[in-house]
Amino acid sequence: MWKKTLAVILLFYVFALLQSSFLAHFALFGATPNLVFILFFLVSFFSKKEEIYQVIIFGIIAGFFLDIFSYSYIGLSIILLIIFGFVLKKIQSLLKNAETKYPLKYFLPLFTVFLLAYELLIGASLYFLDPSRLRINFGVETLFYLIYNLIGASLMFYIYKKIPEDV
Amino acid sequence: MNRVKNFSINKKRNGFVPVIIGTAVFLFLIFTLNIFVTPIRNGFFALSSPIQKTFWTAGESSSLFLGSIFNGGAIAKENANLKNENQKLLAQIASLQSIESGSQALNDMSASCQNTGLKYVMAGVIGLDESDILSINKGSADGILEGMPVLNQQHVLFGKIFKVYKNFSKIILVSNKNSVINVKIQQAAPTGNPDDPVVPEIDGVVKGSGGLTAYLDLIPISSAINPGDILVTSAIEKSFPKDLLVGKIIQKQKNDQKPFQQAQISLFLNVKTTDNLFVITNYKQTN
Repeated sequence: MWKKTLAVILLFYVFALLQSSFLAHFALFGATPNLVFILFFLVSFFSKKEEIYQVIIFGIIAGFFLDIFSYSYIGLSIILLIIFGFVLKKIQSLLKNAETKYPLKYFLPLFTVFLLAYELLIGASLYFLDPSRLRINFGVETLFYLIYNLIGASLMFYIYKKIPEDV
Repeated sequence: MNRVKNFSINKKRNGFVPVIIGTAVFLFLIFTLNIFVTPIRNGFFALSSPIQKTFWTAGESSSLFLGSIFNGGAIAKENANLKNENQKLLAQIASLQSIESGSQALNDMSASCQNTGLKYVMAGVIGLDESDILSINKGSADGILEGMPVLNQQHVLFGKIFKVYKNFSKIILVSNKNSVINVKIQQAAPTGNPDDPVVPEIDGVVKGSGGLTAYLDLIPISSAINPGDILVTSAIEKSFPKDLLVGKIIQKQKNDQKPFQQAQISLFLNVKTTDNLFVITNYKQTN
């Protein structure tokens, strides 16, 4: 289990570096995939109900890397990801066992809602803290951002599913 | 019965206390982190800068390669020749080219700055975020301050320093949504004859629209602008030296009901193919 935790933390760091440097060259309308968010959502989605502490730890680390490589205040993403982790586990418990049969069918709509909520809340928080930094924009940029992230999330979903559970 | 009820309520209340204390401690920690945000960020960037620079260069090469595939088959011939090269030689060539490109940029900049009296610091690009904020690997330790203009060796304006840490800085690009700069429009002479009447100077404003794009605004409705006209920084612009290249007009958007006309522009800055930038360190002193 500790190997998986360590690997995920390392991946958060590498993904944070990748999305701020390598992937910047492949931006369409300024949009690049948010690999850190995708990975956090994946590990939270597949974690068991009793592993909520792990979701919180991943939320803190993923949020920290997202904040450190952005120009916003440290803590915004940490708080949002922890809340998202809790809400996701709650939604999954309401869905009961249905999502285990067709996981991608449940994963993608949930991912879309949480990703848009993250973008909206980060933009709103920046506005609340400093109105000159407002960057809420639901246009072509957001559409490409969503498409990019959905493709990335689908690919990573199948890769994650290939990893044996006992790692 | 009442005893049992009271005990149950107390148990619930007792359960809330650790949660409230935990949340308060957590929020306090986050608040503390923000007090030390500058050294924390600087430490992280100092640690990650070499890896980030490698990723940036790799991304640049990959996007150029993919771009050339999409743009035509000319690369196929070049690829056939390159197949015979061994990996070590290629790595050495890439390394030498990188050094040469840096020196060439430095030489070009030295020559042009000797004429203008501007001093500069060369910095390597290491990252770009979605809000059109660029990261470079030089900071306050190299004499960089907030507000300093940033350009490349061809005097193309990129933006200005927005946040400085000890070993790296963030640049707000002219395409950032919060960026507004005064420009003048250099109109292409219709015939190229020096005896042609002088075209009156037209001033406007370039506003960033995100995604590495911007548009031209506040052009008087009576002014004649044309696609291909070049935009340079204006003398009334306080943040940047005058006559720095900004972009060119692609298409004008004239609406007689509006007091000003707008135009679509193409910015000269090309972040994706830029390795080195120059921060002008004494601009304010020269004015």
